Order: sequence, then structure tokens, then C-alpha cells
Amino acid sequence: MANITKKVSWSSRADESGAAGEGTPLLNGSEQPRHSRQPSEGGSLCQIGRLSTVDLEEEITSDEESQRGRPKEIPHNEKLLSLKYESLDYDNIENQLFLEEERKMSYMGFRCLEISRWVVCGLIGFLTGLIACFIDIVVEQLAGIKYQVVKENIEKFTEVGGLSISLLLWAVLNSAIVMLGAIIVAFFEPIAAGSGIPQIKCYLNGIKIPRVVRLKTLVVKVGGVICSVVGGLAVGKEGPMIHSGAVVAAGVSQGRSTSLKRDFKIFEYFRRDTEKRDFVSAGAAAGVSAAFGAPVGGVLFSLEEGASFWNQMLTWRIFFASMISTFTLNFFLSIYHNKPGELSNPGLINFGRFQGDSVAYNLYEIPLFIAMGAIGGLLGALFNVLNYWLTIFRIRYVHRPCLQVMEAMLVAAVTATVSFTMIYFSNDCQPLGPEHTEEYPLQLFCADGEYNSMATAFFNTPERSVRSLFHNQPGTYNPLTLGLFTLTYFFLACWTYGLAVSAGVFIPSLLIGAAWGRLCGILLATITPDGSIWADPGKYALIGAAAQLGGIVRMTLSLTVIMVEATGNVTYGLPIMLVLMTAKIVGDYFVEGLYDIHIKLQSVPFLHWEAPATSHWLTAREVMSSPVTCLNRIEKVGTIVDTLSNTSTNHNGFPVVVKVSGSDEVFVELARSRLTQRKLQLKDFRDAYPRFPPIQSIHVSQDERECMMDLTEFMNATPYTVPQETSLPRVFKLFRALGLRHLVVVDDENRVRVCVSVYSCMSLMITFLSLNAMMMMMTAVVLTSHFWFVTLLQVVGLVTRKDLARYHLGKHGLEELQLAQT
Amino acid sequence: MSLHKNCSFLVLIAINIYALVSSDAVNFGASDTADRLRQTPSLSPAVVNSPVVFKPVSDSSLSLLASLPEDLEINDYCSDLLLIFGQRYVAYVNCLVRAARPVMVCQNCSAGYSSLLDMYTNISSDQVGPGNVSCRDSLLRSDRLMLVFQLYNNLKNLWDSSGCKNCIAAGLQSPTNDTLYFMATLHQTTSCFDKYQHGNHTELCKNCKNTYKDLNELYSRMEKNQTLCIDIEDAMNMTRKEWSKKFNCSFPREETVPVIAVSSFMLFLPIIFYLSSFLHSEQKKRKLIHPKRAKSYTSLMNIQDKQS
Repeated sequence: MANITKKVSWSSRADESGAAGEGTPLLNGSEQPRHSRQPSEGGSLCQIGRLSTVDLEEEITSDEESQRGRPKEIPHNEKLLSLKYESLDYDNIENQLFLEEERKMSYMGFRCLEISRWVVCGLIGFLTGLIACFIDIVVEQLAGIKYQVVKENIEKFTEVGGLSISLLLWAVLNSAIVMLGAIIVAFFEPIAAGSGIPQIKCYLNGIKIPRVVRLKTLVVKVGGVICSVVGGLAVGKEGPMIHSGAVVAAGVSQGRSTSLKRDFKIFEYFRRDTEKRDFVSAGAAAGVSAAFGAPVGGVLFSLEEGASFWNQMLTWRIFFASMISTFTLNFFLSIYHNKPGELSNPGLINFGRFQGDSVAYNLYEIPLFIAMGAIGGLLGALFNVLNYWLTIFRIRYVHRPCLQVMEAMLVAAVTATVSFTMIYFSNDCQPLGPEHTEEYPLQLFCADGEYNSMATAFFNTPERSVRSLFHNQPGTYNPLTLGLFTLTYFFLACWTYGLAVSAGVFIPSLLIGAAWGRLCGILLATITPDGSIWADPGKYALIGAAAQLGGIVRMTLSLTVIMVEATGNVTYGLPIMLVLMTAKIVGDYFVEGLYDIHIKLQSVPFLHWEAPATSHWLTAREVMSSPVTCLNRIEKVGTIVDTLSNTSTNHNGFPVVVKVSGSDEVFVELARSRLTQRKLQLKDFRDAYPRFPPIQSIHVSQDERECMMDLTEFMNATPYTVPQETSLPRVFKLFRALGLRHLVVVDDENRVRVCVSVYSCMSLMITFLSLNAMMMMMTAVVLTSHFWFVTLLQVVGLVTRKDLARYHLGKHGLEELQLAQT
Repeated sequence: MSLHKNCSFLVLIAINIYALVSSDAVNFGASDTADRLRQTPSLSPAVVNSPVVFKPVSDSSLSLLASLPEDLEINDYCSDLLLIFGQRYVAYVNCLVRAARPVMVCQNCSAGYSSLLDMYTNISSDQVGPGNVSCRDSLLRSDRLMLVFQLYNNLKNLWDSSGCKNCIAAGLQSPTNDTLYFMATLHQTTSCFDKYQHGNHTELCKNCKNTYKDLNELYSRMEKNQTLCIDIEDAMNMTRKEWSKKFNCSFPREETVPVIAVSSFMLFLPIIFYLSSFLHSEQKKRKLIHPKRAKSYTSLMNIQDKQS
């Protein structure tokens, strides 16, 4: 076909397409699908001339010759965008069906909706709190049993000899538990790996990550996090809590579970991306609030991560969900702790309260805090760089599930070994405190009545270690212990993050930071003659923890509030803020935040706050996909099926055009005469949401292919359009602020152009297909795709999220990412 | 008695306690001091005076006190109670100080506390004594200082934190059986220590190990039952210190080699794992897809050219 020649030589096409490209694709509605099907077979032909980063350019051109004719394959790297991610439809598709339904709703109807939103938010908070409570109690119990067993064993063998057996026992116990967690993650739900914060961040950014908010994910996540914390890995349970909250929100707001095949027939109005995303942000907030006992921090977390589509009412609702979540957690924990009704329990992680003199800080300490922030930034950047290389290695080489499970087990075993060795060789003995702050004191070679102080740091759940670093008396740890602990834990945590287990990075970061922070505090007290003025090292532990966490995750606003709330102490607001700012500035100089790195490595088309700084040179014409596959308003079923099953039309948006020539009239007439027996409702789409069957699952017979479909009802008659000379930052703003999924690019001439979204094709088909297949077909078409109707308009291109996310500012200026199938 | 006298009496008690604690239980006669205080009335304003706000009032206190109406004075019954309370207080504190090191406060002084408690209960009860006056109001809450209450409270805190309740039988007169048994076991251990301490310490470690271990086990059992009090804790602490620090009987670190061997084996595993997966695992490749584009791309080079 003619198209192929066009694709083979880019240089010649550049001139032609100006004329041909603008005219043909649009008006050749029926031709178009076939045209665009070609790339799947001959797609590689068009690779010449692709722009890529400077580094990749050489690699590609050298490969080009040898690989011509086959799809090119390159090792995974951070400069790719995956095809599997779709945008969420945050912007409602205002087609006829939608408008009809909205117009039917009375004022009271909207009031009721508002009330049910509040109910849903309350439920989200409640369930999230319950889950947090469950995780907390189970982890505490199981970890208690494990440490008790190991402790008894160690005590026994300290006496009679054979401590290496205890070491083995500890390592085997750890790996066995972690193996369980890794198996459920690696084999059943890989998306549940990690902290889940990157995924939720993407979701709130408007990207549909497959399977991220399913019930199965939640179950695996909860089970996985229990296993990994109990298994003694250097992880925390807070990040997964945020993910769990999000899943709960997505599930509750839909009033049904597709996994369990139960439909409660409630909240049907919320079965759409717009509403679901609002609730997911509430769920994430509730998760943060349960994890840290920080309701305001939770709200700000959602705000910071998904801020583009916020309004006051939503914020208020989210705050409600957060509060309910904290309340629920407190309530149930109070019952668990046999003090029913006492609601002052903090969240999952309990940093304890700073009281009395220890909260005082002075003006002359501010520069010290800032210096600590800088250290935190440096260490955080180091952490991120190491983890980045490790993750790349993992994606490239450790991608088979059984390998991932093995790796997790090895990490668990090594963690136990390192901890044991540290404890074994530590000479730091401290007297047992009167109120038994140490949960599992290990004596080993210490004098009776004393315990090994290295063991309080290692032989404990990470969360408790943080607490003891914050609050133990000055003199509880000696500097050598802390130094060694920081060093080993830094590498362990860095190694652990990114394994195929559900686990968060918050607590390990806090722990590393608290350890070196406390070290700083102790050293400060020793180098100054009047040591007492530096108050207690717990304060520096807190500052260090904030600095380290800020240096790794680079959150600012929400993190400050979370730290302030989790310690219940507003006094440290300013120091923490300064520290986080410094850590972020210093860290950003070297490398991005950990979550951003992982988002990039997942090849997710993530849109940042603003377009890349130097992108004003780019216009919509350069970023858009073109030519666009267009459909007619009355279209052959066969054409539609072909278009949809074509893998190269991955954006799922199709302009619908009306032909002006006379022959079209005939088609319309024809269509009308076979009008639908049953009219399609918006409800039909809702019922299928969010898992629309792929078009491949629908069998369309040859006869049916010849039928005609009327797209009028389904198309969005008023799409957003931009002229092709619009600059990239402007397009970017539209996407970011409106949550668009597609943006139609029209040509410069002021002819009328209308883009229409696809919904309308369906009604005609009902006549011809059996009802079932019909419904599937429709939902597939409508919900996974957009059709726009363009009358008399020249659609020249289509901009999707991936087109925008491809540009980013790299070391060598503006760089372009590549699309890849993952 | 006038309120003034009352005041000075309280001050006297305070000073008395102070003296007891600071000067190795030198005991002033109560009346002695009271006399001296009366002679030096400047002392009592000094005490009352401390917040500046009250200064004018206290300056004129003498004249005010003289004119106090009869019913504001405390009656004899109450002052008697107060006196007895003071004596018992002194006795108890005396006992405490003597039992401070090694700590024997529970075994020796519980009876004292019990009588003090009785007295205080008497004072603070609702009962109206002779003269139709409730001593609770006049003694405990008629002034800002609430000295009697504070004094009692201090000792009560001391009592609570010592945990003596756990090892003294219900009437606060004698130790519980558990305590006695512990003390017996303790005695066994210490006598064993005494027996061997002049010879080789390894000898001691070997021979006293069993009794020491029994003691330790008993202690941890009691710890679980929460029948510990400061006496027992302190005694145990001392014994442990002797055992570990003086006689050096803690476990030696002697298995360094196996531990190092096992851990280096463990640390070696990941290296093998990563190497083998690097060498044998198939590297994951990504298929590149070429997006449709309007024209030949405005290359980024051009952009950068334009910029520069």
C-alpha cells in the first residue's frame, strides 16, 4: 500500500504528508483502519528518523542495519514508556448518553449523591483503619513469637555453646517467612510488590495501572507486608498501608467486587474514573493517617501527590475519611490493649511523645539542623543511586518469579546473619531500664542484668528500634554501635527496597536517619565542653530521621506534617521543615526521589507539575500522533473491530468524522431504517467498568462485519481541541489541569472541527448481534476507547499522555523517551 | 493555737525532714525547734512569702493573725492528730534513711508506713471530731501550700515507686512468703560467694553456679508474677554485679570461628546468586514501538540548536 512507502522513507514523506497527511486520513474513514493495521507487521520500518536521547541514538543506529525488519529490542532502561499504561478518564465523556442521564437527575438526586459520597468516605476510613489495626496486631503477635523463639534459643546456646546454630535458626526462620510473602507477591500479584506509593502516585496522577486497585492486590499486599515485617527484613508497614487504603477506597466506592463477583447494586453512579479517583485519593489519605496517626498529613499527602484535580469539598471529605480512619484504628487498638475507649493511641507507627526539656531547641541549633538536612540529602541521594542500579539489574536479570522469591529469601537470610554478627561482636552493654522499654533484651555476653545495646537496634521490629532511638535515655547507645548500625542498615535497606515483597521504605529510612542523627547528637555533646546544653540526643535522632527520609523520598509538605503529627509535637515544625527543604535541595542536585526513580523504571507516562523547562520549542504538531485513525459516524462493524484490535492504535481515541459527500446520506438512511430495538444506557457501561473485555474476546462473524453502527450517541460532541501550533507547555497544562486523556489537534484553518467520542456506534449493532456479544462489544468499544466526532473538521493529530510524558529534561537538555512493549 | 503557730509548726516539720535527710539523721527535739521558731518569727513570713504577689499580705500577717477570730483556729483534737502525724512521719523517714543502702526499705519500714497511713487516713476522713470540726478541712486544704498533704504525698510516691506493696503481706507488717523464700535463696548464694571468694574465681563460678542460677530463675519467675519490690530488685542487682563484674562469671565469647564461618557462608550466597543470574538468566528486552508522527521529527538537536 501507499502508506508503506510513505513510512519507509521519512525524508521524502516530510514534504508530502503536509498535503496528503492532512487530507486523506480523515476523510478515508473506512480506509484508515487498514492503514493503521500495517505497522503491526511492518512497524519497524518506520524507525528511521526517530528521535531519541543522545546516548541511545548511537546504539540504535548501529543496531538498525542488522535488525531491520524485526521489531527492535533493547534492554530495559529508564528511558522507555510502556504501552500497557492507559490514562484515566478524569474528564467525563460528554456524549449523549451521559448528558441524557445527567439531565434527568433532579436537584435532590445530586444532594443524595453528595451524601453518599460522605458515606463512602466514612466507610473508606473505617475499613482502612480496620486493616491497619489487623496488620498491626498480627505483626506484633507473630514477631513476638518469632523473637521469643530466637531469644530462647540464643539464651540456651549462649550457655552451652553452639551459637552458630541460633544464627542458622534465625536466618532460616526469616527466610521461611519471607519466602511465603515473596511467593504470594511474585506468583499471584506482582503489582503488590514494594511500598505501593509509586503506583498510587501514578494513579492519582491519572494513569491507570493495571490491577493496582483490586481486592486480590489488597489481600496479597496485607499478607505480604505481614510476612516481610515478621520476616525481619529492613522494611516498614506504612507504605503498604497507603496502598491498602487506596484499594479499599476503589472497592468500597464501586459498591461491588469483581473478584468476588458480588454486586451490591449501590453507588452505581460512582463507577467511573472521575469519581473513583477522588475516592482513591481519600483512601490514600486514610492509609497515611492510619499508618502514622497523621490525619492532616494524610490529606496533604493526597494533595501533594494528586493535586491537579482538587477542590475544597473533596479535601474536606478526604479529611473526614482520614479522621475516621485514625479514630477506627485508635478505637480497635484501645480494645486490643485492654483500655477500651481510650482514643489517644497514635497510628501504626508510634514515635512516642517528646516531652519536657527534650523539646527545647535554640537559635544556634538551626544551622546544625540545616547541616544535618544536607547530610540527609547526600545520604538519600546515595541510597537512591544504589537502589536505581540495583533495580535496573533486577528488571533485566531477576525477572522470573522463582528467582525473585529466591532473592527475597537470600536478603532475609543475610539480614539475619548481619544482625546476628553485629550483635555477637558488640561490646556495648547497657543496664536494663526500670520500665522495660526493650521488648526482647538479649544478654549474650553482657553482665547479668544488662543487655546488648546493639540488639535493641537489630533484634526488634524496625519500628520499635526507631522509637527507642528517639526516646531512650542519653547514654543508651554508644557511638560505635550507632555508627555500625547506620552503616549496615543503610545497605540492608537499600538492598531490600525493590524486592518482590510488599514493604515500605519509610521506617528503614527513619531508622537510618535516627541512628546517625543520634550519633550526631552524642558527638555534639562530647566535643563541646559544656555538653549538657545540647539537650538530649533523641531530638537529633528525630531531625536525622526527617533528613534521611526527606533525602530518600523527597516529599516536603506532607512529610513535615506527618512527622509533626506522628511525634505529636508542633515545636519541631520549623526545624523539620528546614531539614526537609535542605535535604530535598541537596538530594535533587544529584538524583530524583526514590519513588520517582521507580516510576521511571516502570516506564510509566507520568506527568509532572509542569512541562519540561526548555520545551517551548515544541508544538502540538511535533508531539501529536499522526495520522489519526478516523471513523465515520455510521461505521461498518468490521472496520470498528479492526481498528480496535489493532495494537498500534494504543491510545484508544478515535475521531469520528461526518462525510459531506452525498453517499453518506444513504448510509445514514440505511442506519435509521434498522433502528435499535433496545437502546443502550450508560448503565451498561457502568456495569462493565472497570474491566472491559478486550475486543479480541468478541467474535464477530463475517455477516456482522458488514453491519453498520451509529456512533452518534457515544461520541463526545464537544471535545477539547487545540490548533497544531500550540506550544507543548500549553498542551501540558491542559492535560495536567483538566485530567484529559486525549487532546484533538486540528489544523490551522478555521474550519469547524468536531471531535466525537465513540460511544454512539453501538445501538445499531444490537439489531444484528446477539445481545450478549453485543453488550460486550459495546462496552469494549466505548469504555476503552474514545471516539470524537469531527464534522467538516480537519483532525490532524491526537495528543495523549504518553506523547507528553515522553519529553523530559535530562542531563543533556531535553530528551525523548521511547515507547516499548512491556 | 493560732494559725501562726500552726504555720510555724508545719515549717518546723519541713525543716525537720530536711535536716533528717541532709544531716545524717540528726534529730532535733520537735518542741525545741518549735520554740526557736517562735523566737524568730521572721522565718515564717520568709516561707509564706516566696511569691512576690503575696508580699503585702504577709508583711502585715502578724497583726492579721492576732486578730483572727476564734473559729478559724484549729481545735485541739486536730492539732493532736497533727502532732502524732508528725511524729510518725519523722519515725518513718528516719527508718527510710537508715535502710537506704543496701535497700531494705520494704522489709524494715513497712510498719512505719502503715502507721503513718493510718494517721493520714484519720486526718483525711470525713469524721467530725470533738468540737464539731472536720480536721480534713482545717489541716489539709485551708492554705495554698497544703503542707500536710504534700508531705504525705511525697512519701506515698516513694512508697508506690518502691513497689513494697508487692512483697509485704496484707497488713504491711511482715514480708510475704515469696519474699522470705527469695531472701533465703539469696542468702544461700551470697554465702556461697563468701565461701569461695578468696580462692580462684573460676572455682567460684563453677561451684556457685547452681545456686546462682536458681536465684536467677526465682527472680525471673517473680518478675513475671509482679511480686518484685525494690528490696529484692536491689539485692538481685547487687548479686548479679558481683557475679558478672567482680567474679567475672559471664559467658565468654568463645565461638567466634563457627559464627564467622557460618556468616561468611551466608554472605557469600547472594554473590553467587547475582552472578549466576547475571550469567545465566536471559536479559529482559523491550520491544520498541514507533509512534506515528506527522512529519519527520523536529529533532531535539534542532531544538537545542535553536536554543543556543
